Amino acid sequence: MREILSIHVGQCGNQIADSFWRLILKEHGLNENGTVKDSSVVKSNSNQEVFFHKVREGKYVPRAVLVDLEPGVIARIEGGEMSELFDEGSIIRKLPGAANNWARGYNVEGERVIDQIMNTIDSAVEKTQSLQGFLITHSIGGGSGSGLGSLIIERLRQAYPKKKIFTFSVVPSPLISDAAVEPYNAVLSLQKIKENADCAVLLDNEALFRIAKTRFQRSPNYMDLNHIVALIMSSVTASLRFPGRLNTDLNEYVTNLVPFPGNHFLTASFAPMRSAQSESVVRTNFADLARETFSEDNFTAEIDWRTGVYLSACALFRGEVKAKEVDENMAAIRKSLNFASYVPTGIKIGLAETAPEGFASSGLALVNHTGIAQVFERLLQQFDIMFDNHAYTHWYEGAGVSRSWMQSARDTVAELAVSYRDAV
Amino acid sequence: MNPSLEKQIAAAARSVEEARRNAYRDQSRLGELVEQINVLAEYRQQEGDFRKAESLYREALFRIQDAKAPDPELMVGVYSLLAYLYDRWGKLPEAADFYQKALKLSDELGIRDSDKAATVKNNLAMIYKAMRDPEKAAHFYTEALEEFRRVHGDHSGKVASVYNNLGVLYYQNLEVERSLDMHHRALSIREQADGTDMEPGDLSQTYINLGAVHKALGDFQKAHECVEKARAISAGTITGGLPVRRRSAALLLDKTA
Repeated sequence: MREILSIHVGQCGNQIADSFWRLILKEHGLNENGTVKDSSVVKSNSNQEVFFHKVREGKYVPRAVLVDLEPGVIARIEGGEMSELFDEGSIIRKLPGAANNWARGYNVEGERVIDQIMNTIDSAVEKTQSLQGFLITHSIGGGSGSGLGSLIIERLRQAYPKKKIFTFSVVPSPLISDAAVEPYNAVLSLQKIKENADCAVLLDNEALFRIAKTRFQRSPNYMDLNHIVALIMSSVTASLRFPGRLNTDLNEYVTNLVPFPGNHFLTASFAPMRSAQSESVVRTNFADLARETFSEDNFTAEIDWRTGVYLSACALFRGEVKAKEVDENMAAIRKSLNFASYVPTGIKIGLAETAPEGFASSGLALVNHTGIAQVFERLLQQFDIMFDNHAYTHWYEGAGVSRSWMQSARDTVAELAVSYRDAV
Repeated sequence: MNPSLEKQIAAAARSVEEARRNAYRDQSRLGELVEQINVLAEYRQQEGDFRKAESLYREALFRIQDAKAPDPELMVGVYSLLAYLYDRWGKLPEAADFYQKALKLSDELGIRDSDKAATVKNNLAMIYKAMRDPEKAAHFYTEALEEFRRVHGDHSGKVASVYNNLGVLYYQNLEVERSLDMHHRALSIREQADGTDMEPGDLSQTYINLGAVHKALGDFQKAHECVEKARAISAGTITGGLPVRRRSAALLLDKTA
């Protein structure tokens, strides 16, 4: 059945879950409580089981584990329209929070809750026939999503070495900062993601904000940003859930997108962009759709497009799309993109028949570009300023993360940045 | 995997999930969750998956600790179960650590169940013996012995078992005379036992152990007699008189010679 288990960690990870599952329910013709709303939709796509576990009376329960070290966001999900959707046994809340400290999320609090999380994940995995992998949503700037998220990824790799781990990791913004220690948390997380994940789609709130502002032509809120992430996540998995002429599963993404071990940090783009509230169906001709999908200002991370090159790219088009048009337009787009000299092949293409709700057709690009080094370099620069002055490190040492550990994480990320720069 | 064990695991896993849901809604039902976790963890151990069993017990432990009013008796129980798991897993220092925790907490909390405490002390002694720390092993065997005698009297099967264990410890430590004394004490109890208080192989095992001690003392005639007696008993028992290594969290008895 090739099921996927989603794991949402921390405040940000669960906010994304809120948007993501709303979208997925609509795509599969289900109500907010998991019952069937539109049987014709359910019939037309038989792969609900990728994301849902069917229980009694035809109700569908998400294959999802929700984890947070503070109750706020999960409580809102439980108290909202989707209050009856999730399995209560798969929701893990534990006080008192990680206090924006990666070390507390990874060591102190994480140590006390990780077994419950892994046991819950094991239970969810046992309900699958042929699990393909895990999708993880989290932020790497805070405490819970970054520290506990890193611990979960590490344990997942140990427990399920052959399953794919895809993370959707929200990176601290260059301009908007939620906490002074974000660079520490991010660098410590990136080390674990590099070592344990198969692919990480980096999501920069600043870039998401810019995309939303440009496309929605108004001042966006966090719901808008989460909606963009949800659209991307939904499209990444669309090929598995809906019929199509060119299917792309998580294994194929990894094979095509990761040219060198460890260089698995991606940026993504979704087109045509529209807000969750828009009512009318968006129709775009394919040439415009393909162009917008690969438009540099439509990607979710602040990439150095100027000096970098493409290492690999995948595109997935959904809905009313003609194969001939895809071939013609994508050949032109491939030519226009600055690929590394040693990558002579084209862009990996996937086609799924069903577009996201509200769209006649849509495009997703997943790109591995050397310019992503810029994201790491920016974080390292901020990290170094604080670390060289011993600022805030006592909080980490007090929670079991020594300066040498932090230094090693810093070196790992620095090597990662260099490996991307050298890949030109 | 054994299909029946697979079914048992699936059923136990469903019970744990249901207990998790119940505990999520109502913290006072945590004990129920711990019980179900124990069932599943036991099956996981039978399956040979010690890592999953460990993870389940640790979930139970931290959930008890994080409760508004942690139940100390539940905690002592989970400490013991974890220790017992590590013992079976071959992680002896961890096993010793958790048995010590169980003893310390039950002592602090004034949990007075001498039988359980004696069992834990006997188990702990076994672990120290395996870790080549005969002094600590002898200390905890002696304490276990005293408590079993107090609870069950001087002639109970449990007292005989600890004598046997002490005999094995002294033998390993080359204190052969003391070993002989312990095995004789075990023998006098086991010879008079009516069978309800001991395993079928216990008596023959004592003879085998005694034979080994006589041999070490150079008395080959007595050694031969002991082995012959053990053989005669074995021939008349269902298990063939082989020692049954009793494995339970409640009582762990050393049968190794």
